[in-house]
This record gives sequence, structure tokens and C-alpha cells, in this order.
Amino acid sequence: MAVIYNREKIGEGINFTSLINKRQKTNTIMIHLLTPLSSETASVNALIPYVLCGSSREYPTITILNKKLSELYGAVIKGSVSKMGDSQALSLMAGCINNRYTFNNEKITEEMTKILAGCLVDPNISGNGFESKDFELKKQELLDDIDAEINDKRAYAFKRANMNIFRNEPASISIKGDREHAENITAVSAYEQYKELLKTSQIEIFFVGAEYSNSCKDILSEAFAKIDRSYSGDNHSDISPLKDEICRVTEAHDVAQSKMVMAFKTDHNNIITMKLMNAVFGATPISKLFMNVREKLSLCYYCSSGFNEKKGVLYVDSGVEHSNIEKAENEIINQLEAMKNGDFSDEEIENARLAIINSWKGVGDGARSIADWYFNQCYSGRSDPPEKNIENIMKVTRNDIIEAAKSLRLDTVYVLTGKGDTE
Amino acid sequence: MEKKIVRNERTGEQYTYVKHPTGLDIFIWKMEGYSTTHALFGTKYGSINTKFRTNNEPDFITVPNGIAHYLEHKLFENEDCDVFSLYAKTGASANAYTSFDKTCYLFSCTDNVYDSLEILLSFVQDPYFTEETVRKEQGIIGQEIRMYDDNAGWRVFFNMLQGMYHEHPVKIDIAGTVESIAQINADLLYKCYYAFYNLNNMVLSIAGNVDEDKVLELCDKLLKNNDNPGLETAFEPEPDTVCQQEVVQKLEIAIPMFNIGFKAKPESGREAVRAEIETNFVLSLLADESSVFYKKLYDEGIINSSFSSEVFRGDGYFCSIFGGESRDPRLVKDKLIEEIQRCKKEGLDKERFDIIKKSYYGALIRDLNDAEAIATTMINAGMEKISAFDVIETVANVTFEDVSKRLEKQFNTENVTISIIEPIDNKEE
Repeated sequence: MAVIYNREKIGEGINFTSLINKRQKTNTIMIHLLTPLSSETASVNALIPYVLCGSSREYPTITILNKKLSELYGAVIKGSVSKMGDSQALSLMAGCINNRYTFNNEKITEEMTKILAGCLVDPNISGNGFESKDFELKKQELLDDIDAEINDKRAYAFKRANMNIFRNEPASISIKGDREHAENITAVSAYEQYKELLKTSQIEIFFVGAEYSNSCKDILSEAFAKIDRSYSGDNHSDISPLKDEICRVTEAHDVAQSKMVMAFKTDHNNIITMKLMNAVFGATPISKLFMNVREKLSLCYYCSSGFNEKKGVLYVDSGVEHSNIEKAENEIINQLEAMKNGDFSDEEIENARLAIINSWKGVGDGARSIADWYFNQCYSGRSDPPEKNIENIMKVTRNDIIEAAKSLRLDTVYVLTGKGDTE
Repeated sequence: MEKKIVRNERTGEQYTYVKHPTGLDIFIWKMEGYSTTHALFGTKYGSINTKFRTNNEPDFITVPNGIAHYLEHKLFENEDCDVFSLYAKTGASANAYTSFDKTCYLFSCTDNVYDSLEILLSFVQDPYFTEETVRKEQGIIGQEIRMYDDNAGWRVFFNMLQGMYHEHPVKIDIAGTVESIAQINADLLYKCYYAFYNLNNMVLSIAGNVDEDKVLELCDKLLKNNDNPGLETAFEPEPDTVCQQEVVQKLEIAIPMFNIGFKAKPESGREAVRAEIETNFVLSLLADESSVFYKKLYDEGIINSSFSSEVFRGDGYFCSIFGGESRDPRLVKDKLIEEIQRCKKEGLDKERFDIIKKSYYGALIRDLNDAEAIATTMINAGMEKISAFDVIETVANVTFEDVSKRLEKQFNTENVTISIIEPIDNKEE
């Protein structure tokens, strides 16, 4: 059963996309504010969605807001922030069960939408800034989050690797910014930035449910109509340039297992071919990296690749014993050479193709996954359904894959290792 | 073959339950209009099942820690190939996991459902280990254990279990230790396999875009008729008290992390499900985001939004856990105990009870959107010998009185363990 896609403009740089599928038992609304990444604003931008989803003028504390949401059968409103290439997406998500599942046929979807709109355009203000007590707590949490990045060593290694891979590019900026900028945010400066974002950012709204909801669209259109917009234009990402020399960085921390991130860059312009090449190389449990580096040689617990299509970067992410780092690096390079030499079977291609198609066919089954799919599409200026990508990937040939592999150049090798392990 | 349709009037949903002649319990839930199918084939065998006997081995034997997880890794390897490479031909995304009390093999796919199901049913019933293949796995699992050594969220939880339990094997890491897995050999793996991977001890659960008759046809063809080995598991007696009240470890993290566990007497079957649900209500009333307690500690900066609570239970263990980050975890514990004692004296907040019920029920309805969530609910229900709708019905029918009694019963403020992970102070070095 296909998802019915409809995108309409409801304001200057504001779009409302509905994704309708009869069998949805829930209604989900995602509102994304897209803005260019910059080190000056990354931290404050990262803070804003969390401040907004905790209260509004009508529901001024988290306790009052949560009580109201619980009455709506545990509706949720969540803030989040994510990175899309050189852009930052600030998001508010709201979800609840369909009205028809309530005990007394209550209109909870409309109520939830009103609350969400209130959180976004009518926040809890005191003086010229966000209400300060709640703001300070949220700010402390942002600082804690920045400090806690080191707790998850795999993610931490990835963050540090990105700073080197994308040197001097917006994409090098961490999604939550840095401590120095975060410390200087005040309730007033955050409120100013919030107003600026409401005015200038690209706003993409996604509604996923069993039937089209005019009332939800109207509630949101009305909320945005009050804002004096001067939309600043599009968001885009640039392909990351290859460095003149391979960048090698090793950092020491208290870890039992070392982490290695390798980055290869490409200017290949066919994203679907790159995705298939990436799947054969390292993105599945039958890929070259998994079968050889992990299974055959037992060099790593995890070793997999991923492709950042917005920046033209293929990553290899691995967890390795310190004494095996060099061996693992050499073996990863060998496997990529094999790809370049066409040393892979037709069966490996078909298996990888099948795995990707399988995951694309399931995209429409989840509210979140289908909304994310179209958000990604619209960022790249497209509106292709998963079926269209499936059609395209069917056409990719062995030679296309070899060409895609040949376009990759090693750019960065980042290693996070134990303190006793550095020579 | 015993077959019945299990229907739930409240949600209008239904599934089919089949007791196969081989002893296997089968659950099939057709989800109209979905592309995805999610299937799980599991055995009631997890890291805690280290002591057992069968008709062939009438004396209880104790096997090395981590063996259930080791077996899971090894079953993924056939005599001539890796199981992933079989699934590669169907496009399914496959995986397996071992928890405290179960081992499950699963796949998720949109096409070639029956080919994938054939792979799943075949390889799980077809063990193949040699001393050499068993030895090879030690490197990979050793790396996995090392990876978890660095994971503060994992460590804080296991340290708490180690403090809480004197004897129960739930205190041991699921993957075991580098030392315990060194004792594992092919003979031991076969012994455990034949004891626990008998179809009387297993459940098959499928949800999504699936045809019931085709599933049963495949089951008839592929399920092997083996004798019931008469499996019996046992645990050392576990005292009511905790073993240690506090466990502290240092790791490279930013803010101290904590788990605070309240140990309670375990129950089994339907009673355990009821106990879990009612205790979840208690946890929400005591300390969810809308509670007075949460707001007070949050506003004072004692906890942050990572604070959460959950029930953790299984065969022979039951506890309620509060976890999160705090600059003063011991103060969180004192405040919690104070709040529990206050609620025992003054009663829980009745007004919030009805709201929490709606919220809990809403979350269960949301799960009905998702093939994976449904298949998981069914396999859990199958292993507990209850209906997949029992949770939703219990939640809809719970009373405030039940929940108040549960507070008395499940929260003994004497039997508490706190586990803390403290940041390494780099200045000391």
C-alpha cells in the first residue's frame, strides 16, 4: 500500500508535506528548521529545540505540559537537533494515537497540534528572554551533553574524526557546538537567535497519519501566519575537498579497545551507485569488510562503512585491539583495492542490491522513516519515493561500481587509543 | 495440531496461535497493508541458565558463564557457510541476540519471506561446531567483551546487579568473561544445544505481510521431531537482602552515572506480568517527568533529563531501577527513599493514576504500528505462556488499590543497591 505524498507551501519558505497511509494507528508531526551550520550559532541552535519542547506560554512548566500530554493518551513532544551535511536541522516532533483508538473518541490529534504550535511560536517568555529558571537547567544539560560526548567512545571517535576530515568546512562543527560558545549563551541571546531562526530558516513540516488532516494544517498555518518572515534562501552542502596529504591523527584516552575511523573522499555524482558500492564494500554483514576484516581475520569487533552523500565521504568505522591497528588499516585498504580491481562476484552485487532494496521497501511502514526519507529528499531538491530509487538501483552495473570505487581517495585516518598504548 | 485465533475486542486486532505436533509454540499476526515482515525464532535460554539437567544427564551440571551467547554466535555458522550469506540471497536483514533469559534469531524483510523463513528454521535446528571453529570465535567475543568494558551505561548496570545479587547468575555479564569463555569447547556447546534448543522450549513468532497457511506448511516440512529431553533448570537459593549496598567504579566519563535498584521477591507467569505492570505504575507515580519528586530534584539540579526508571525482571529476579546522571548520586538515593516512605504513609497520587493509565495504554497502541514490536511482544508472551494481549488488558484493568499494594510489597527501602560510575580525576595522575 503506497504512501500518498502531498507537499504544499503554507508560507514564505514554509512547506507542509503530508504522508498518508490508511493503516497508521498514530499521527506524527515533525517540524524542521533548517539553517547553515556555523560555530557561532551551533550551540545555541542545539539548545533551542530542547527549551521549546519543555514548555509554552499556555503550559509554562514541564510538569503542566507533561500532565496535559499524558491525558492525550501519552502524546509526546520531543526536541532534537541533527546535522545534514553543512546544515543544522532543529526539530520538534509530536506524536499521538489516532482519535479512533481513544476510550471516548476524543479529538486528541488536533489538541496535540495546538500544543506543538504553542511550543514553537508562543514560548514561555519572561522579560526579553526565555523564562530563566527552565532555560538555565536546559543550558546546564547542553553543557553536560557536550562533556558526556566522551562517554560513548565510538561516537566520540567519530566526532573527533569529523573535525579532521572536514577541516575548515561547516560540517566539521560538532552537532552541539562547543563548550566555550555554550557557556556564553544567555536566556536573552537564545531568545534573540530563536526569533531570527523563526524569521529566516527554511521550515519543513511533515504530517504522517491515516488520513489527511485539514485541521492540523490550518492550526500550523495560522501559527506561522503571525510571524514576519524574511526567508534567507536555500540550504545546501558542498562536496568535501580532498586534502593534499593524508591527515593522520592519533589521540589517547582511557579505553580498553581502540577505535579507528578512515575517510575516503569522492566527487562521484551518482549517489545511488555510491550506495551500492558502499554496500558491497562494507555496509552489510556479507560485505567485504565484515567477511574479511572481522570474520576471516578476527581483527575487529565491528568494521563497517557508511556513505555521507551530502559531503561525498565514505567512512570506515572500526573497533580494534591496539596491536592490530596497522594490520586492520592495511586490510581495509586491500579490500578497497579489490573493489577497484573488480574483484567481487555478480552474486555479491546482487546480494548488496537486494539488501538495499529490502530496506527501501520497508521505509513506508514507519512514520518516522517515511518522514525522514522525504526530508532528505527535499534537502537535495528532490521528491522521489523509495520506489523510484529502487528503479534506479536496478540499472547500476558492475562497471559503474568499479568506477565508483576508483573515485575514492584516502583523506584521513583517525585513531583513538588507550593511554598505555601510545608509543 | 492445535490452532486458535486469539482476538482482542478492545483494539480489534487478532493473531493465530498454533501448538505444533513437534512441541513448538507458533504465533502469526497478519498486518494488513504492510510491506515488512518480522520473524523471531527463539529459545528460553539465556545467560542465567548455567545450571540444568536432562533425562540424559540426571545430575545437575554447571556450565561456564557466557555459553548461551557463545552458542548464538556459533549457530550463525553452518557447516559450509555463514548464515548471513544465505540470507544475502533473499535480501532479508538478519540478526540474533542473547539476553538474560532468551536467545532469539530474527530476520526482517519485504520480499522472499518464505525463503528467509526456511533459512531461519533450518540453521537454528542444525548445529555444527568443531574445536577449531569454537576457538576462532574467542577472538571476536573477546573483542566484544572489551568493548563493553568501556561502556559506562553497561558497566553501571552490571555493577548494580553484582551488588544486588548474592548467587543469582543475572549478576554475570551476558557474554561472560575472557576467562570463562576460554573454558568453552564443542562438547559443552552440543550439551547445551540439545538441552535448550528442543522445540518444546522454543517459540516462533511472525508479524507483518505474511500468509498463515504458507508458514504452517513450511513448519510441517522443516520442524524436526525430537524427543523432549525433560529439561530442568535450577538456581542457587537467593537471599532477600542485597549483597552490597554500594558499588563504585571509575571510568573516563564527564558526569557521574548511577543505577539505584530496589530488590524484590520474584514471581512467575501471569503474576510476574501483573507485578511488572503494577510496579511500572508505581514508578511513574513516584518519579516520572510529571511527578512532584522529579520536578523538585530537577529544579534543584540534582538530576537531569537522563533520569529514568524501569522494572527489570526474569526467572528468579525482580527489581526496580532508577538511573541517570547526577553530581551527587547518593543524595538521589536518599531523596528516593524519603519519597517512597512518604508515599507509603500518605498514599500515592490518585488523580495522576488515571492519566498514567491512558499514557501507558497509548504507548501499547503505538506499538501495534510496528511489525518488530508485535513479533517481540508475541515471542515474550509465548515464553511466559500468556496471551499477547494480556499486557494491554492488564493495563486497561489495573486499579489504584492494586498499585498502592504493590508499593508496599515491591519497595523495601532496606534492600537497595546503588552503583556509581565516577569520572577519572585526571589531575590525580
